[in-house]
Amino acid sequence: MTKEWIIETHDLVKKYGEHLALDNVNVNISPGATGLLGPNGAGKSTLLKTILGLIALTSGGGKVLGHDIATEGAKIRQRIGYMPEYDCLTPDMEAIHQVRYAGELLGMNPTVATQRAHEVLEYVGLRDQRYRAISTFSTGMEQCTKLACSLIHDPDLLICDEPSNGLDAKSRQFMLDTLFQVVKQGDRSIIMSSHLMDDVERICDRMLMIHKGQVIAQGRIEDLKAIDREIEISVWGGSSRIEEKLKDMGQSVRRTGRIMRVTRVDDSTYGTIIQAAAETNVQIRKMEDYEPSLEDLFIVIMDRLGYSVKSSRDLLDGPTPAMDNAAQLGRKVA
Amino acid sequence: MTEAPPVEADPPIEPGLVKESEFMGQSGQSVTGQARIEAAYGVGEGEGQGVAMVAQSPTAEGGTIFHQIYRPWRGTLNPRWVRNWSLLRHHVYGLFSKGHRPWPLMTKLIVVIVLIGSFIPIISMAMSWLTGVEELMELYGVNRANLWGHVLGTFHNTCCWPLLTAMIVGGLISEDRQNGTSAIYFSRPITRTDYTLMKFISAALILSLVIVLSYCAYYAAAIILNDEGWAYLLDTIPYFIGGLVAALMLVVTFTSIGLALSSLSTGRFFPAASFLGIIFGTRILAYLIKLLFEKDTLYLISPYDNLAHAGQWMMGLNTTYDFPAAWSFVALLLMNGISLYILISRVNSLEVTRE
Repeated sequence: MTKEWIIETHDLVKKYGEHLALDNVNVNISPGATGLLGPNGAGKSTLLKTILGLIALTSGGGKVLGHDIATEGAKIRQRIGYMPEYDCLTPDMEAIHQVRYAGELLGMNPTVATQRAHEVLEYVGLRDQRYRAISTFSTGMEQCTKLACSLIHDPDLLICDEPSNGLDAKSRQFMLDTLFQVVKQGDRSIIMSSHLMDDVERICDRMLMIHKGQVIAQGRIEDLKAIDREIEISVWGGSSRIEEKLKDMGQSVRRTGRIMRVTRVDDSTYGTIIQAAAETNVQIRKMEDYEPSLEDLFIVIMDRLGYSVKSSRDLLDGPTPAMDNAAQLGRKVA
Repeated sequence: MTEAPPVEADPPIEPGLVKESEFMGQSGQSVTGQARIEAAYGVGEGEGQGVAMVAQSPTAEGGTIFHQIYRPWRGTLNPRWVRNWSLLRHHVYGLFSKGHRPWPLMTKLIVVIVLIGSFIPIISMAMSWLTGVEELMELYGVNRANLWGHVLGTFHNTCCWPLLTAMIVGGLISEDRQNGTSAIYFSRPITRTDYTLMKFISAALILSLVIVLSYCAYYAAAIILNDEGWAYLLDTIPYFIGGLVAALMLVVTFTSIGLALSSLSTGRFFPAASFLGIIFGTRILAYLIKLLFEKDTLYLISPYDNLAHAGQWMMGLNTTYDFPAAWSFVALLLMNGISLYILISRVNSLEVTRE
């Protein structure tokens, strides 16, 4: 099957002195929304800089939007909109002029850039605030201005580094809705790096996970998820009794308080649970299929790599913890 | 620390089902395992008091109707020189109009004051021409010493040019580092060479607007107001050109040193203060050494004195230093070389993803 990739790399290696930042990275990203995941120091920033054609590679190569990353960096950057995680705006400039200048730096005519700046600022919800100085903006408005700067030339690929960082619930919702629209309505591609799994899952249908400079997993999130299907029940009165009963009946049960998950073998598992509840005189207040989330996928992957983590935040917010001893002894990443 | 579970073999892929996934280097493989189970409703046996969730009625929010529609843009992007022109325009136009680089009010004020100050000889000559007071014309009329003095005189190089340079170059690169605006530049097709070059030209152009422009205006005013002819022009043009080259050398050297200092910092104050420190500090140090040991070789470390020496030589004036002018040229070359090296290496360290 011939496939059109927006990004494809072959045996990409990047070394900073002795430190191996990217280790034989082979990435194939198709159009659409892709989440870039990985612990701190995994090599995400290096990969983004590689995609932007900003760094000289040690070996390997690749193409972004059909342009060579080693020799056509400027052409790539003309077709990419990059929204950085950190502050990148001049505080004393008005939003309209900041966005217009961002367009001019891409080679847009000043008149055209001004017209387009008005359009994109309206699109990101800053129509009435466009003549305000950026220093008077809230974090959400600053994020929207950064998004407007990256959208001004209608890029084929939008790279968003932590787009919902520091936003309150309402602003975050708006940012995610806007990005979702860029993909669905604008038919543009997005690479979104975020430590919030919910955000990535909402926007992206594909993911790319990097760890220690290597690609651990990539592809459609749904295709990657082959996590055990479970039935989650919430019981009332005698949780231990029903847990023991279910185990006696040959079911695999995991329990935390009143919540239990029973591995779903087939449709008969539902009947088995009801039967166990009847026999132990326990109320089942809720029973539903548990759909594993991206967070679950991330934790299972890290578990397979030998890290005992309770949530993605353990790895994404802080330094990468040491691997378990058992994992360190015999495990190979790839 | 729990023991890591063994890596399980993935189930075989069903024929005909194409999976767009890759896990641990194996194409078509999925991630198997168990999802985490989170604590909910407490961890007891379930006899505790439950908390009811009460549905809340939605509230109407006032405001305008906002239709979010993505509008594509089908224009063409201009080539490299247009991008570079934008960068240059942003910095230079910022001094005069809104919507470009927001120069601080104090900087604009200093530029205006220094510009007016540098026009004092022209104003004096005009007054002399209007009132007929000859002394003013004798004092400010064009000659080698006055032309040298306009660019490299002690007054201008104590009160005007260093202060002007410090205010202009102070935050030119350091503020990009401080505000993270380097990401705006380098995530676009702006190369580090273009960025450095345009910043340099912007600063040099603003300094030239004051230093070189006032120098040329002074010479032109002297000719016009004195009603001089071609003979005068031919007589004075060699040392006018010498002064012009000295003025350009001053602009380039001050810009190099100032931008190098700006690239080292993340604020406006340090580059400005350290620039003034270098210009005045080296002069004072060399002067003290001369007083103590009657040797003025140490003036070679002073950018101003090297420029003054080179200027004297180019304009045919008697030099006031007891070492050859070639040494000053070499010292200036070294100063510019070192400054540009620092500038380039520091600009290369400006980050896009994180600062």
